[in-house]
Amino acid sequence: MKIAISHIDKIEGHSGFLASIVEGDVKKAVLETQEGARLIEGILIGRRFWEAPLITSRICGICPVVHSLTVIRAIEEIFKIQLPEEITTLRKLLLAAQIIHSHTLHLFFLSLPDFFDIENDLKLVKKYPKETKAALSVRDWATKIVKVIGGRTVHPVSIRVGGFRKLPKKEDLNGLLRDSDKVLEDALILGKLFRSLDYSNFQRKTTYISLSSKTEYAFYQGDLRSSSEGILSKDIFLKRIKEIQRDYSVVKRVKLEGKPYMVGALARINNNHQKLNKEAKKLFNKTFKNPPVFNSFYNIPAQSIEVVHFIEESIILLKKFLRYKVVEKEVDFKVKAGKNYAFSEAPRGTLYHFYEINKDGRIANCNIITPTAQFLANLEEDLKVYLSGILNLSEEEQKRRIRALIRAYDPCITCSTH
Amino acid sequence: MNKKPKVAIFSLTSCEGCQFVLLDLGRRFLDLLKRVELVEFRLVEGEPITTETFDVVFIEGSPITERNLKLLMEVRKKTKILVVLGNCAALGGIHEIKNYKDKEKTIRYIYKHIEGIANPDIKEIDNFVKVDFTIPGCPIDGEDFLKATNLLIKGKIPEIEQKPVCTQCPFWGTEECFLKKKEPCLGPITLAGCQAVCTRGGLFCLGCRGLLKNVKPQGFLKSLEKMKSKKEIEENLEIFGIRDDVEEKIK
Repeated sequence: MKIAISHIDKIEGHSGFLASIVEGDVKKAVLETQEGARLIEGILIGRRFWEAPLITSRICGICPVVHSLTVIRAIEEIFKIQLPEEITTLRKLLLAAQIIHSHTLHLFFLSLPDFFDIENDLKLVKKYPKETKAALSVRDWATKIVKVIGGRTVHPVSIRVGGFRKLPKKEDLNGLLRDSDKVLEDALILGKLFRSLDYSNFQRKTTYISLSSKTEYAFYQGDLRSSSEGILSKDIFLKRIKEIQRDYSVVKRVKLEGKPYMVGALARINNNHQKLNKEAKKLFNKTFKNPPVFNSFYNIPAQSIEVVHFIEESIILLKKFLRYKVVEKEVDFKVKAGKNYAFSEAPRGTLYHFYEINKDGRIANCNIITPTAQFLANLEEDLKVYLSGILNLSEEEQKRRIRALIRAYDPCITCSTH
Repeated sequence: MNKKPKVAIFSLTSCEGCQFVLLDLGRRFLDLLKRVELVEFRLVEGEPITTETFDVVFIEGSPITERNLKLLMEVRKKTKILVVLGNCAALGGIHEIKNYKDKEKTIRYIYKHIEGIANPDIKEIDNFVKVDFTIPGCPIDGEDFLKATNLLIKGKIPEIEQKPVCTQCPFWGTEECFLKKKEPCLGPITLAGCQAVCTRGGLFCLGCRGLLKNVKPQGFLKSLEKMKSKKEIEENLEIFGIRDDVEEKIK
């Protein structure tokens, strides 16, 4: 028997799903990418280093900030650029806002309808006016932060190697701070909604990988942590993972020592929940009873907790930035040949960019490993196990639940293909 | 009461950023949707298409795969007005850089198994089907979209005022002209309407909205060669897919 979903709506990018079941045994459950390959790494070769943030931003329209920031940090490592705290603060604020608006979009417009058996968001909007208002208020605030600091929400222009091309106006940042209490309230309304949803009690043990830090809920930088092994050296992690291209796919799946692993909000929450901000921690304690939670559907409430956390974090960062007396927008640097990499937490999980730059400042080599490429094998393993448990349901209901699990991961097929 | 116009939004291969610009309009986008019948937009709905014809179709991205091409052809047949959204659809997008490199080498750098992976030269949508209107930019500008769509849903094709980005720089607060600083800004030959978002953000114009209709860029581009090498100027034109358009005009 085969179960085929020709096109999964309400995810970023294009993908279908195919499962084959032989005598009650799920033999195969895979996502079939329908995205064209844009060959981003290939086109970067030979280009000038300053183009890389502009080009890689276009990998993804929902998370351009994190691609730009990660390549910029990798190149700053190569050029040995030391940045003052003010620039890092502003970049962190940009990334926090990116995570908030990406999560809110996914939570409210992509995943939530699954829980009410509604296929059309416009019907959802009519039915839940208060929650819609809250979701839009949170998204508006976060997209505005990116616009104020980055110049534009989709594909920001102001971030560059060495700092910023332009700094935001203090009055605009003050305005964002003034609206923040209301936005936090709205995020808590959403948090309550997502805590109350009826999540399937599906469980499958896996390894959660994320950045981790002793001082904060890591997102801009940090060590790598595995839920099974603790802190991992990045160099060793990179040696132990393998990008595998199956012959039918333009997406490379990534495995750690041959095994799937999970990145993203659930991985971060499982690994780092001790570092959540105050309101987020309260919400976490009410939602996650015995962490770590091995239920991938909980990626959804994990995102809603992170929305609260990153709003609180943005408020801290806004206040911090506004206290600096003098801020220089960028530092001087010299182009140097070399190679290096950077990791960040993108909305969907740990993102890796590697570059080798030659003495003329041109890109000699590069590699980009996106969160979706990393969790795809884990999602497929989940789908296989999950489907085995729902074979008694009607095919239509099976498909509905498969779509819901896929959406819970918030996959970005656009990113993973690039 | 008149029937609401049937509108659909499709995406081919792209970053989908132009669709996110629409969603980022928030309430204003939802209000617009009240005035139309949105029959296809897979970011907000998963209901099967029940309509046979559309009044206005918006399409973003590049036709790279067979599937992309098939969709594009089908949509053209079914719609009265076809609007392309953004730089990929209108001008090829950043992935058009590939056209100026060894295609085979480019794909082999990434994939071991290349059988079955579409790797065509990147071409703009109007190479395949008739395009009725273009909303340019990488990404598109939300205000631009709302303004144009108000007319498009009434069946009217908006006029685009042909003026360069330079005309918007002073109003929107670009601090200093890049050309005066000897930086190779493409503002003088690029269609305005972006509210000078890059130049006022500190990045010189790279022409993502495309060339002005009747511009003769030769002399201007020659003058840029005093600032940067010819190769670098060409590379700048490649980023948003306008090198081929420039070469067409110079020919």
